[in-house]
Order: sequence, then C-alpha cells, then structure tokens
Amino acid sequence: MPRKPTQREGSPFTGLGPVFMKEFADHLSSARMMVLMLFVIVFGAFPVASSLQQLRTVTEQDSYLFLRIFTSAPESLPISFVFALNFIIPIMAIGLGFDAVNSEFNRRTLSRVLSQPIYRDALLLGKFLGGLATLAVALAALWLIVFGAGLLLLGLPPRGVEVARGACFLLAAIAYGGVWLAASLLFSVIFRSTATSALCALGLWLFFFLLWPMIASAITIGFAPSQIHSAEEYLAVEQLGLVLARFSPGTLFSEAVVGLLNPETRTFASMLPAQMRGVIPGAPLPLDQSLILIWPQITGLIAGMIVVFAAAYVIFQREEVRA
Amino acid sequence: MRRLIILLALLATPFMAPQAFAADPPVMQGLFLLTDYPAQTVRAGEISTIRIKMQNSGLAPEAMALSLSGVPSGWKIDILGGGQPVASAMPGQNESVSLQLRVEVPKDAKPGSHQVVLGAKGSRLQSAELPLTLTVGTETPAKLSVKSRLPSLRGTPRSAFEYSVTVGNDSGRDLTVALSAQGPANFQTTFTEGFGSNEISSIPIEAGQTKDIKVKVTPPRDVKAGDYPVLVKVAAEGATADLRVTLQISGQGRLALSTKDGRLSGEAEIGKASTYTLVLNNDGTAAVDEIEMSGTVPTNWKVEFNPKTIASLAPNEKKEVQVMVTPADKAIAGDYVGSFRATARGESSVADFRITVTTSTLWGLAGLGIIAVALLVLLGAVARFGRR
Repeated sequence: MPRKPTQREGSPFTGLGPVFMKEFADHLSSARMMVLMLFVIVFGAFPVASSLQQLRTVTEQDSYLFLRIFTSAPESLPISFVFALNFIIPIMAIGLGFDAVNSEFNRRTLSRVLSQPIYRDALLLGKFLGGLATLAVALAALWLIVFGAGLLLLGLPPRGVEVARGACFLLAAIAYGGVWLAASLLFSVIFRSTATSALCALGLWLFFFLLWPMIASAITIGFAPSQIHSAEEYLAVEQLGLVLARFSPGTLFSEAVVGLLNPETRTFASMLPAQMRGVIPGAPLPLDQSLILIWPQITGLIAGMIVVFAAAYVIFQREEVRA
Repeated sequence: MRRLIILLALLATPFMAPQAFAADPPVMQGLFLLTDYPAQTVRAGEISTIRIKMQNSGLAPEAMALSLSGVPSGWKIDILGGGQPVASAMPGQNESVSLQLRVEVPKDAKPGSHQVVLGAKGSRLQSAELPLTLTVGTETPAKLSVKSRLPSLRGTPRSAFEYSVTVGNDSGRDLTVALSAQGPANFQTTFTEGFGSNEISSIPIEAGQTKDIKVKVTPPRDVKAGDYPVLVKVAAEGATADLRVTLQISGQGRLALSTKDGRLSGEAEIGKASTYTLVLNNDGTAAVDEIEMSGTVPTNWKVEFNPKTIASLAPNEKKEVQVMVTPADKAIAGDYVGSFRATARGESSVADFRITVTTSTLWGLAGLGIIAVALLVLLGAVARFGRR
C-alpha cells in the first residue's frame, strides 16, 4: 500500500478491533436488533412453515428436496423464503447502518472517539464490519433454524452437496446485506440527520425494489425494434433487459440464489433452439458449474459493496468532525 | 352330306348339347352298394368301422330298407348313418349316402373268414347287395408315415424355420399320434396344426387319412453358422415314423457399441475437444464388414471418430474407437445427450452418451479481477484521503 509518511504514522487499522467489538456488542444487545430479529423470524418462518407443509406431501423422488424448502412457493402464500429474504435483508441492513456515523456526530461522541489513537479509516471500517458481522449472525441463525426445521419435519438429512449449496446461499445473502449496509453507511455519512439518512436509504431500496424493474422494462421496450424477426433479435432485447435489471442488487441476489438453490438452472436468459438440442432436461449442474454460472452476480455484489464503502470512506475523510 | 347336316345341327343347338352329351356316355343305371375294401381284416375284441356308400345312378329316389345277413354268432354289426343306427337309406337321383358298418368282434372269435352280406331293398323291386369278407386276423401293426415337401430350409439365427409336415395313418384304425422332435441342444421345437396357432403335442388321425402339421424350429440366437438336423418323430401304438429336416443357418454379425468399463458418460469443456474411448464388439456369428462410425450431437458441436471406418470385424473381436467431441462455443453448461453409431450393412449399434459440459474457469478469474479493481479503488482512496 503506497502511503506518504508525511500523511500518517502507523497502520490505518489501529483500533479497528475495539471499534468492531464495541459496534458488534452494541448491535447485539440493542432493542433495535431484537425488533429486527423478530421481523426477520416472522417473515422468514411463515414461508418456511408453509413450504415445509407442502414438501411433506411430496412423494416423488427429488435429490435436492432440502433446497426446495428455500425456493418452493406454497399455494397458500405466494412468496418463497428466498423472496422474503430478498426484501428483509435490505431492511435489516438499512436498520443496522442508517445512523452509524451521524448518531455519533449528533451525540457529539465522534470527536471524542477520534481523539483516541484511532484513525477514521478504522472507525468507519469497524462500524461496517460490526454491522456485517451482526447481519451474518442473524442470517446464520435464521439459516440454521430453517435447516433444523427441515431436519425435524422432513425427517431426512441433507446431502453434502445440499449443505454446500446452502452455505454458498448464506454467503450470497451476507454479501447482499453488505451492499445495503454500505449504502446506508454512505447516507449516514452524508446526512447529519438520522431521519433523512434512513429515509434516503429506504427510498433507494424502494426505488430498486419497486420502480427499477418498471423503468428497466420501459427502457428495454424503448430500445427494442418495432418488429422482432429472429430468435437472435429477441435474445438481444432480452439481454438488454437483463443487463438493466442487474443494476439492482436485488436482481443479482435473486439470480445468484436461483443458480445455487435450483441446480437445474443452466442460464438466466432464454436458450436458442440450437442450444436446446440434445439437452437433458432437469439434469442438475455440478456445484462448481453453478458457482461459475452465478460468479458474475456474486462478483457484482461484492464489488458493489466495496465501491459503495469506498465512496462513504472518501466522503467521511473529507468531512469536518469538530463541529 | 349327312355328316355336314349333323355337324350343323350340333352347332345350331348348343343349348341342347348338355342333355345330348349327358345321355351320350353309357351310364349304368341302378342302385349300388360300394366300399373301398370289400375284404377286410378285423381283430378279435376290437371294433372296426367299414365305410359304405349307397350310390343311386339315374333312378328315382326310393327308401331302401337295409339288412344284414350272415352275421356270425356273437358278433355285433350295426349299420350307422350319420353316427346313428339306421334301418333304411334314401339316396337322391345320382347321389350317394354314406353308411358305416360298426363291426364288434367278440374276444374269443376264432381266426377265419366270414362272409356278411349287406342288402338294400326298395319297395319297387330295386335291390342291391354287398358281400363283405371279414377275416379275423392276427394283429396288424399300426403304420404311420411322415413326409415333408420342404425338408431343408435356410436362414439366419434370428429367422423362424417352419416345416410343413404331412403325417399319414396307414393303418385300419384311428390313431392318436404323438409328436416329438430331436434337435441339437437349445433348439426349440413346437408343433402346430396346419393353419392353427395352438401348440399341440399329439393329433388324432382317422384310419387311412393324413393331416398337415407345422413344425417350427427356433435356433438359439448365438448359434454358429452350419447345417443342423432335426429329427421329427411321430409315434402311435408302437408304430413310429421319423423325418429328418435340416436347418441351414448362415451366420450373422452383431455389433455392440459400448465403452471399456460400460460408463456412457463423460465431461467436455466448452470449445475444447474431449476424447472418449468406445469399444466396438462383434458378438454375432459372422464377420461384419465395412463398419462406419457416425455420431449425433447437439447443433454446432463437432464430433470426429478415429478410425472413421473399420474394414472388417471378426466374430468376438473387439476394436477401440476414439471419439473426439467439441461442444459449441456458445454451448451452455449442463448435461447433454449425444449418440454414437456404428453402422454396417443390415447391422447397427447405437450408444447414447451423456456429456456434461463445463465452462472454463477463466471468467471466474475475471470476476476476481473486478473485485481486485474495487479493492484497489478503496486502497487508492485510503492513500489519497487517509489522514491523521
């Protein structure tokens, strides 16, 4: 790491440990965490219970039965556990991060903290990692509850491949949470008022969750030729729509989840008739091939998380804290 | 001149001709009692049947009372018509009536000849007589004959060999003939009635009659080329007859395409050639010539065989064939099915192969590169904006 000795002395990570531990402990013991956990469990448990009820009646052979707990959408409740996670995780991440910096600022504790031998780098990174660790703990607990309920109610152990896919799914969920945590951290750095920061973060989430799919399809229709003559043209239009939709972290997350939890997924776009020839339908992909398939999505989530965090870092570094 | 007139008259009267010609040959008018064998041998203690025909040639129909005279004491002779005892018969003009004499010879009848006269007497002085000489003889053995029009057939191990066999009962008694066949090991033989489909093991044949039966021989599939004799035997009451039929079996090659360990699946990376080893086996009985290898794979895939053609494959010979499969550049990872085929004249074998297409991990590295770039941006920000 190129560093100018005139600018600072010692590692920028000095004090990262204490900040991280303090944030982690504060989150886990806070009432807000309790509320969020309750929220998550209610929203997660309901689809899982319904899909388990349905899976218990399944008689056909299914080598990935355990993964269906996550993905199957029961008739009584048209949302699957994965879909529920798709909007619970952002709310949880925003709830954990929207007042990370500005609340300290408002309580006038920021300058006190920074008067300690702790760099701003370490403070911001510690707050982010603390939030991420809290999120990881909550998601892992939820994941374990689902697996345990599956074991109890289905009465059969998951296979190694299923556990591996489930673990990858958990990692993808944490990365997805990381993106929104970084985004809410960014808003907490930008705005001094916690309410504004929360509103902006939630607004961004609503934009991506509700508005962006509509905007993306409108743009796609605008760019599509008036008449589609061949399968290739149709694919090109579909590809454009997919690329636009993938700007939303939610799309990236749900595609990654589909690739991981539905091993039969070969591609997210349509297949050309020429590509369909000789395909054995329903044949599951090996785990490594599924990972290669969703690797761009995972990469996008992780890189997006880092870039948003970097933006928050740059803004935080330039801010005046002695107010 | 007179001849000419007769000729003209004949030509002019074509419709009178049948009558004229019917009257032309000298027809014997009268009533006759007929039988094929007027002197017969009967056996003591057994029942014999003598067929008799009452023929009326050109007479008006008339009821003819039937009578028997000269029946030896202790014998019982019934006149049967249509299975029932009858006392008279009435043949129409130029027609005949079948009758049977059921002769029951007592057990203790002594050898010797007896003359029995069957008489028929009408009310209008028509009468006929048939003297029959019945000799109580010693046992005449039952006699059978068996013949076939086509005793030698040619085919492959998979064809059905069907022989039409005529079995004759040359004795004076009705017999139930048992049928059997002796062939090489594992050759299966079945008997069916001439035009029936039921399998039979014996067949009743009336005295002097013949019956057509069918003998079907199924050779085992793996039989070697050559001539195989099958002995068809018929037997009844100590009489036997046999017939030798021959199966000329020409060999047939049979191809079987598989792999060394029988595993019909493999992996292939997109855009890269993968080689699998197939094993071509001839488990037939004759050599297979000019075998050509071909393959059906998804669109835009490439498939090559080495060798592409095989000149000849002897029975029980194995040959390895390398097949090189290249998935299309635009193929999507997953499982595909391709089939490889070995084709020769009249013989082919297909092996369906499951190919798992994998993507190169190169793009995964590219993704790592993107994350590295993002980290570099962060580190650059730390370097630029990091401060005390």
